[in-house]
Amino acid sequence: MTAVYPVAPRIGIAPALLAGKAVLTGPRLRQLRPVILPLATAAAVLLVWQIVVTGLRVPAVILPPPIAIGHELWRVLPVLLHHAVPTTLDTLMAFFTASALGVGLAIAIAYSPFLRDMIYPNLVLFQLIPKVALAPLFVVWLGIGSGSRVAFAAFVSFFPVVISAVVGFANIEASALRLCRSLTGSEWQCFAMVRFPFALPAIFSGMKIAMTMAVIGVIISEFISAQAGLGFYILYASSRMETALIFAALLVLCVIGVALFGAVALAEELVHRSYGRR
Amino acid sequence: MPVVERERYVEVAEVSKVFRAGTAGAIEAVSSVSFTLPRGQFVAVLGPSGCGKSTLLMMLGGLEAVTSGHIAVGGAPMTGPRTSIGIMFQDPTLLPWKSALDNVLFPLRVLKRPLDTYRSGAQLLLERVGLDGFMHKKPHELSGGMRQRVAICRTLVYDPELLLMDEPFSALDAITRDEMNELLLDLWQQYTKTALFVTHSIREAVFLADRVLVMTRRPSTIVEDLTIPFARPRSMVLGESREFNEICGHLRGRIEQSHNRPNGHRAETTLARPELVG
Repeated sequence: MTAVYPVAPRIGIAPALLAGKAVLTGPRLRQLRPVILPLATAAAVLLVWQIVVTGLRVPAVILPPPIAIGHELWRVLPVLLHHAVPTTLDTLMAFFTASALGVGLAIAIAYSPFLRDMIYPNLVLFQLIPKVALAPLFVVWLGIGSGSRVAFAAFVSFFPVVISAVVGFANIEASALRLCRSLTGSEWQCFAMVRFPFALPAIFSGMKIAMTMAVIGVIISEFISAQAGLGFYILYASSRMETALIFAALLVLCVIGVALFGAVALAEELVHRSYGRR
Repeated sequence: MPVVERERYVEVAEVSKVFRAGTAGAIEAVSSVSFTLPRGQFVAVLGPSGCGKSTLLMMLGGLEAVTSGHIAVGGAPMTGPRTSIGIMFQDPTLLPWKSALDNVLFPLRVLKRPLDTYRSGAQLLLERVGLDGFMHKKPHELSGGMRQRVAICRTLVYDPELLLMDEPFSALDAITRDEMNELLLDLWQQYTKTALFVTHSIREAVFLADRVLVMTRRPSTIVEDLTIPFARPRSMVLGESREFNEICGHLRGRIEQSHNRPNGHRAETTLARPELVG
């Protein structure tokens, strides 16, 4: 509990906030504000959490204090990392499967008005179904192996990719395609040099959503069927009423999720730089 | 080269185009148009918007099929786009992710020609149109006039024999447009191509062309074929001469005459696909 005090001066901005004064407005600080402000907010929340939980003597089973969670995390980190491996691999497999199938189907839809009329409305309709509810079906169909989890996560993350890719292919400039055709470009050339680059930014924004959906899909599957993985570990910890362990596992899951999302966002940024409209 | 081929380099015979032929909404965009272009001539097709002159141009470029009649370029009937024909569209249609220089080199990529052989030529063209300092800028960093100048370079870089221009300067302001017209004449004189320039500006047509074809709406056909007597090189001052203005007046009369002709098809002037007929 004494560890709290070194953090206390950090909330020195609180009185200024309460007084309605502009905080972090100096020229240098304004630059750093997007970084400092969210971090300070998170730190403040953790601090309040710590004080409230210890002050009101909330039982650790209901809500352990952040510091206790930190201790638990440090203690079981090797175990958590061990469980993080299958979760990460399954997520990546699902993400790449969903991206490949989604972009593939979008290309087919872009070239065939018949296919578009046939499939696209149904895809949009499917998007509205809470697909998470179908997780038990995948166990029935594909068993309790890793393949079943990957298939379910890929299924969940497939829809955002295909829908944004279809929009991306539809919004390309018709005149650019006409230019390519007028230069005797083949269908493949016009696709590779005009259509695909035009659609790339939209495809990547779909893939960003797909990555978060893939993590969700894998965790849900692990809740249901797995013998390993962070989803399994969270369920295991909850069955033993080890609330601090649940939070520790969540923390690791958060880091993985942010890292995977960050990787796609980085790829998107690179694509924007070479193929963005500006 | 045989005399016939030189004199009748482009041959358009009884060409008609009907969109959605055989349906209730059939639109005759071009009706029985005939003319020939000798090699090296600059011809303007002048007419109000919606008279089918763009459609005519697209058929000449092999991007639209004729409904009836016959088009031949260089003695060979048109069956599709050709590398000996360069088209400039109403908008510059630059690829937004490519620099000005890479946009100029785009046709060579499509035509699978060695870029290194053409790079210096492309740079020279960009210098000729006053874009020396802008070769590595992206389209969004260029003004409208600059973008259209890049498009001119892109059309000239692979050295087509026939230039088809579809109101390329109609989106520019009057001052920039005059500049572009002078620049175009300058380039045309240097590279001596056969050129067909579609416009709805009488002054632009008279200033640029050796010959002006007047096209009317309903029926969309050519009603006047006028030779413009002015010597080259021409400069903007020409526009102030009496003869220039008399010719413009005569052409305006011809257009108005055909406009005021009573006909029963007024209701059809709302076109389903005006961009194809414009």
